[in-house]
Parts: sequence; C-alpha cells; structure tokens
Amino acid sequence: MAISTDGRDIDTNLAELSGEGAAQKIERPDRHLQKIAPAPWERVPQVTPAETTYYERPLLKQSVWSADIPLYYFVGGAAGAALTLGAAMQLAARGRRRRELRALSAHCHWIGIIGSTAGAAFLIHDLGRPSRFLNMMRVFRPTSPMNMGAWILAGAAPTAIATGLLVNRRGLPGKLGEATGYASGVFGAALAGYTGVLVSNSVIPVWQPSRRWMPVLFIASAASSAASILDLFYENRTARRVTGVFGTASRLMEIAASRRVEHLASTVPQVGAPFRSGAPGVLWKAAGVLTATSVALSLLKRHRLAGVLGAAGSLALRFAVHSLGNASARDPRASFAQQRA
Amino acid sequence: MAAVLSTVEALSLETAAARADTHNRSGRKGFFTDTTLCIGCKACEVACKQWNQLPDDGFLFTGMSYDNTVALGASTWRHVAFIERPIALSTQDAGAFSWLFSSDVCKHCARAGCLESCPTGAIIRTEFDSVYVQPDICNGCGYCVVNCPFGVIDRREDDGRAWKCTLCYDRLKDQMEPACAKACPTDSIKFGDLEELREIARTRVERLHENGLEEAYLYGADAAKQPGTEGLNAFFLLVDKPEAYNLPPDPVVPTKTVKETWASLAFAAVGLAAAAIGSVFVASRG
Repeated sequence: MAISTDGRDIDTNLAELSGEGAAQKIERPDRHLQKIAPAPWERVPQVTPAETTYYERPLLKQSVWSADIPLYYFVGGAAGAALTLGAAMQLAARGRRRRELRALSAHCHWIGIIGSTAGAAFLIHDLGRPSRFLNMMRVFRPTSPMNMGAWILAGAAPTAIATGLLVNRRGLPGKLGEATGYASGVFGAALAGYTGVLVSNSVIPVWQPSRRWMPVLFIASAASSAASILDLFYENRTARRVTGVFGTASRLMEIAASRRVEHLASTVPQVGAPFRSGAPGVLWKAAGVLTATSVALSLLKRHRLAGVLGAAGSLALRFAVHSLGNASARDPRASFAQQRA
Repeated sequence: MAAVLSTVEALSLETAAARADTHNRSGRKGFFTDTTLCIGCKACEVACKQWNQLPDDGFLFTGMSYDNTVALGASTWRHVAFIERPIALSTQDAGAFSWLFSSDVCKHCARAGCLESCPTGAIIRTEFDSVYVQPDICNGCGYCVVNCPFGVIDRREDDGRAWKCTLCYDRLKDQMEPACAKACPTDSIKFGDLEELREIARTRVERLHENGLEEAYLYGADAAKQPGTEGLNAFFLLVDKPEAYNLPPDPVVPTKTVKETWASLAFAAVGLAAAAIGSVFVASRG
C-alpha cells in the first residue's frame, strides 16, 4: 500500500500524480488549517439581512507578506532617499565646502549601497520561491508596481555600488563614478516611492482612496529616515545643516501626508475603521507622535535623539501601513461599504 | 549597444504581449453558474479536488450552515456557499425562510487584477481566454493575492506559490469540459462559449421573471454590468445582493487606476529631488 498521506489519499500504485494541482507541496497542513479556520462561534452563525455579510467571513485575502516587507519599505526607502541626497551633494559640491560635501555625499552613497542590498535580501527572503527571484526580470510591466520595483532596484543597487567604488578616483573611473552617482540619484527617488504605488494599487479598501497620496507619504517617510540615519551617524557641521533643513521638511511632509491618507480613507467610515481601533491604529498614531517629537528635538539641536525618534517614526509608519492593510482586508464590510458608497 | 537594443526590443515585445493577453482573444470559454439550480451537493468541489489532485484543507466544523469549506483558496478552487435567510423567495408559498446555494469559483475576469499585477509573467491569458498561473514560473511574491477583488487566488505557505482555478486547462486542451461542470448533477454550472452562455443566461433570467422570481439577476455577465472588471468569464445568476454570497457589489481591478498613481509618484520624486538640492544648497551657503 502506498497511499499518499499528504491530504490527497491517492494510491500511487494505481494513479499517477499529474493533475494541475499535483505539484502543490504539502508540508504543514495544520498551519494551513489555522489560516482558514474561522474563530470558534458562541452563537449559531447566521446571515442577517440587515447588514449582509457571509458569516462575517473576509471577502478579500489579506497579504501573505511577513515582516520582511515593511522592513524593506523602510531600508529600501531610506537607501533611495539617501542616494538622491548624495546626488544633490555631488551637484552642490563647489567652493568652500567642496571637500565636506564630497565626503558626506560618499556617506550617502554608502547608506544607499547598504540599504538597497539589505532591501533586496529582505525581498528575496519573503518570496515563496526565493531561488526564482530573477523571474521578476522576465517581463517589463508598468501595470505591476512589483515588477517596476524590481527594475528600479536593479538600477539603484548597481549604480550605487559603482559610485561607492569609483567616485573620487582619478581619470575615467572617477568620471564614470560621477555619472553613476547621478544615475543612482534618479533611481533612488523612484526606489523611495514606488512602494507607495505598490501598496495603494491593490484591492485593500483602506489604501485605495489614497492612491494619489501614498507615494508622497512613502517618499516623505523615506527622506525622513535617510535624514535620521545621517543625524545618528554623522556629526560634522555640514551634515547637521543639511539634515536640519532636509530632515525637518521631510518629517513635516510625512506628518501632513499621513493626515491626508487617513482623512481620505475615512471618507467611508467603515473603511477608515482600522485607524481608530486595535494595534494597527495605535502603531499609526505612535508613528505620528514619534515623528513630531523628532521635529521638535531637531529644532532644539538635539540631533542624535531626533535621529533615533525620526527613524523609529518611519519604521512604525511602515509597519502601521502593513498591518492596517491586513486589518482592512479581513473586514468584509469595508469593501462592501466602499463599493456601495 | 546591440545587446541593449535587443533587450529593449524584447521588453517592448513582452509589454505588447502582456497587453494582447488582455485585449485580443478568440474562442472565449467560461462558466455560467445558475445558483437557482444549485442543490448544494458539493459534487463540483469533490470533482475539482479529484481531477486536479489537490490536497484536502483539513476537516473543520464551522457551524456556517452546511459550508465547511469556508472559502476559495490555494487548494480549494470550487466552494459552495450556503446562505440561510429568514426571508422567503417571492415564488415561495409558505414560511419566512429560504436556503440559497452558490458554487463560487475564480471569475477569470476580462481584465484580471492578478494577471496585470503579476511581476513575473507567470499568470497568463490562455487560448480559451482563461487566466492561468504557470506553476513553473511563479516565484511566490504574493502580489496577486492583494490584487484580486474577489479574494480568490492565494499562496499556500508550504508550497510557496500562488494557486487558483485553471478552468481545467488540461481538460480543455483535450476537448473535455471542466471537471466541476461535468460533475454538476443539475447543470447549475454550465460551461461553454461565453457568447452562448450569455444568451442562455439572459433567457433564463427572463423565464424566472415570468415565473415570478423577480429578484433573479445576472452578476458580472458583461462589461456593462461590471465595468470594474470589464465582465467576468465566470458569471452568476443570483437572487440576493452580491454581499449575501460574499461577492463584491462593484469590484474594480486595481490596475485600472495605476497610471494616476505613477503620475503622483513622479510628482513626489521631483519634490524629493527639489528638497534634496534645496537643502544642500542652503547648507553650503552659510
């Protein structure tokens, strides 16, 4: 007897496993069961016509992403904004502060290198089949922000690495490094914000209404985290002056854009519900408080503390976006109310 | 240079092909699920599992009427919904109660959110106009899962790839109808050419209206009925609000709005560059 015990109950002496779903691998049926099992019921489940749902079951599937993805939003975003800032410094490095700005620009490029490679690692780790990562490069598909993101990352990481290795050298390599520095700045701006397109162009009710503002929020948050990293690790005067302006502007923009996103989502009350209750809502509010405190500390010249809180604020925001989306996907009424509105 | 050019050419061909996936099609096949004929026997669920050699999902007792399948998922490609209502159908003689059954399935949307958001091109439009996930290409990024307005496609954790109904691609290639339609004892699940199915469906609704079942209507039968998906290749005849069957009342494929979001990213990126250049210049002045 060779009956398979993987939930198929097929006697492999008699039958061949060649169906469309035969290749589906089953290792942990219990974990799969946990995912689909409804919560134990206290009264007999019923469909009530007043507010129709199908036994409170979700309409949508929530994302299958682990913590890798919000972490990627954070490190990838910080890397992207740092690359853009680095390119701006290349551009401005003239006259009295040339040397300081060149040095700081190189630091920005290194933040970009570390962030984009770490980000790529998070992304690959989150895939169901990590070895097939390169399949992302089979197509070029603007309707898929995930696909465009792979191309953007494939532009940003190598140009950043080339810049880190070549810039400040003599002759042709130096010039090439200069050029890749500017190129990495362009890719960096896209890297900082495309994740906003990715999140808001999904069916998740809470993110759909803020399609136009999510990229702004993600870019502002990325800029804020890049400034926070500079605040944390680089103590020279030029760095302080740059982050004083860039950091404050981006943190204020982060707060403004997050208010806007929340407002747009709350147009239909049921859709905005996750903002007002539960752990995701608390995380979202904490992100706002952390970023606002970081602005105040930065104005009081407490740069290092401002950096800690600014980075924590951005990180909390990315996790809040992720968990608010999942909470929203679990609520069938959110989709129904949104589509009936 | 030649290599770059040929790469660009290959990419533009791919893009054109992706667009053609959605726009040029012939021999459109689909399902018409007439829920007024469904008796809730779940033969479709069993036939699907058997033919496709899908594993079980564990054995639950949910208390949700006779529905212990719960939802569509990576290894469940047909799901019969059981709706117990304290309201009578308009053709009913007695009792304020009615029991509705509906066999749910992947809708194979004319504009498919999963297909258009798939970053690897693993999800394709077949010659039968169905939406098919190629398991040898899918890398399990999970983006299709949050791009399906019906919550159909899912990634199974232990397998790592996304799975859903294939419209029995293997059977269609051998001129056989899908296993669920074949097994359906009341012909509630009808398989065939989409145009013919639409005609059958329209006639059926008229007939039901004549008989007094005025609440009967078609869900997602064409682009006019459901502009957000431009029509479903697997459409339904329902007798209650879509919400009762856990179907979205007005689903919109998210890729329809992707252009405006890219435009707003472009503005935001220019803003970032301006902020970066501005603050560096301010800092280098003093």
